[in-house]
Amino acid sequence: MTTKTEQQLFVGSPVTSHAFNGALDKLVVSDNSTTVYIYAKEANGKWTKETELQKHIERVKCVDWAPKTNRIATCAGDRNAYVWNLNETTGVWAPSLVLLRIERAATYIRWSPAEDRFAVGSGARLLSVCFYENEHDWWVSKHIKKPIRSTILCVDWHPSNYILAIGSCDFKCRVFSSALKETYDKPETSGWMPKLSKFATMLAEFSTQGWVHSVKFSPSGDKLAWVAHDASINIVHMDNHDTVIRSLTPSLPILTVIWASENSVVCGGHDNFPSLFNIVAGESVSKGIRLDVKEKKAGGGMSAMARFKALDRTGDDTKDASLDTTHQNSIIELRVVKSDATGNCSQFSSIGMDGKIVHWDLDALASSISDLKI
Amino acid sequence: MSKNVNSTQFRTVDVDAYDEDNYEDDARETGDSGAAEVTERANQVRGLLNQLKTKEALKMALKNPPVGNKDASVKEQNYETVVSVLKSFKAADIDAAVADLDMVEIDILMKYLYKGFTCSPDKAASLLQWHEKVVAKGGLGSIVRVMVDRKGI
Repeated sequence: MTTKTEQQLFVGSPVTSHAFNGALDKLVVSDNSTTVYIYAKEANGKWTKETELQKHIERVKCVDWAPKTNRIATCAGDRNAYVWNLNETTGVWAPSLVLLRIERAATYIRWSPAEDRFAVGSGARLLSVCFYENEHDWWVSKHIKKPIRSTILCVDWHPSNYILAIGSCDFKCRVFSSALKETYDKPETSGWMPKLSKFATMLAEFSTQGWVHSVKFSPSGDKLAWVAHDASINIVHMDNHDTVIRSLTPSLPILTVIWASENSVVCGGHDNFPSLFNIVAGESVSKGIRLDVKEKKAGGGMSAMARFKALDRTGDDTKDASLDTTHQNSIIELRVVKSDATGNCSQFSSIGMDGKIVHWDLDALASSISDLKI
Repeated sequence: MSKNVNSTQFRTVDVDAYDEDNYEDDARETGDSGAAEVTERANQVRGLLNQLKTKEALKMALKNPPVGNKDASVKEQNYETVVSVLKSFKAADIDAAVADLDMVEIDILMKYLYKGFTCSPDKAASLLQWHEKVVAKGGLGSIVRVMVDRKGI
């Protein structure tokens, strides 16, 4: 089994955001420009460009694909978000504008689990929860503003569809209720929301020392994990907001986190490789296990051309300039590609500032790395 | 050429103070120690150093730093306590002492080392010896946590 498959999607630009469709045969990506690309998977497993979606007039910051309803949502620095619907007969993706009513760039966008609404974080220090209004045939938004005091960097939906977690630049991770009366929501009480709370009620607030780069609910929704720029991984259980399991890692700050199972997370960031962390006995986090196994380069050494280049530039022809990790720059985003019904992830993907997309197989990694236990 | 006789006082106005949405750090209590505890700790550390119990002195010096304290002299005093402990170590003993510390203490020690680099550049050589050993245990993450720290130790 191959543990990973990498592909250089873009040369000279990072892959800033990506999402897969329901059948996992199409991929939507943005390359830090105003264009959004859709790639299709060929028979040999490589991604090839299929369509370009061009509507934004500023850099596209984030994309998301709703797997069941087959809609793409994109948001950009032009303070707009679009929902793209596919015309089955013509194969053309048509955009419809979302009225976000924000005065700064939109930074993050995520469809909810039921795909009837999505959340857009922005630099305007507020979150827009957008839902479809049938009478006028457009998407409208409601804002969550207080007490967020700086740019929102990440958002995650709870499986119940009515609770959101937000990570922002004011060093806090917060959980809000997002039950809307406009869509006749009937939320139930849960560990996060012990009393029925109306829209924009803050249910919990946690502090860190750095910007909160990524926040994710566990597959069941009972636990919340967030990573911050102080190189920490924080996990809390909904029943006890005071006990935050905090791991001060010895690595560079982590930028993205996903849950590999109910008790383990995979993180990636400025260290250029994904690592797996297990929650031990519900109290602490284990040391990170590096999932990017260093492989000895076949053919031993550099080509003659590379040798002379290195000799000319640095006066040393023995060292190869590339890093020994698969990604040659920071990992920007991780996505769960395949997981079973209980949320155990078997495959995940990573995109980086080096323009690569790498597909990782956790099952294959589990057998090849000796002390890997999930 | 005409002389500019207009006032340039406007250049000294702090624009951020008038911005309603200006971000201010929370002024929360963080379990830090007051002046009395810092003095008490300085005495205890001195006692341990006199008995040549350097490892215990280090652990005691790194406990509960006066992070939120608005009084700079209290912070100075605690800094002096930590530096006195660091000075008393022989180069060979640093490894064993660092191995004894947990991640929180490593972070506090790293913050004091960087404070030392700015305040006492004459001691840089010995501080760098400590820095090397602390990075071996705390990794680059401990340095990042010094950089993102907003309160200052």
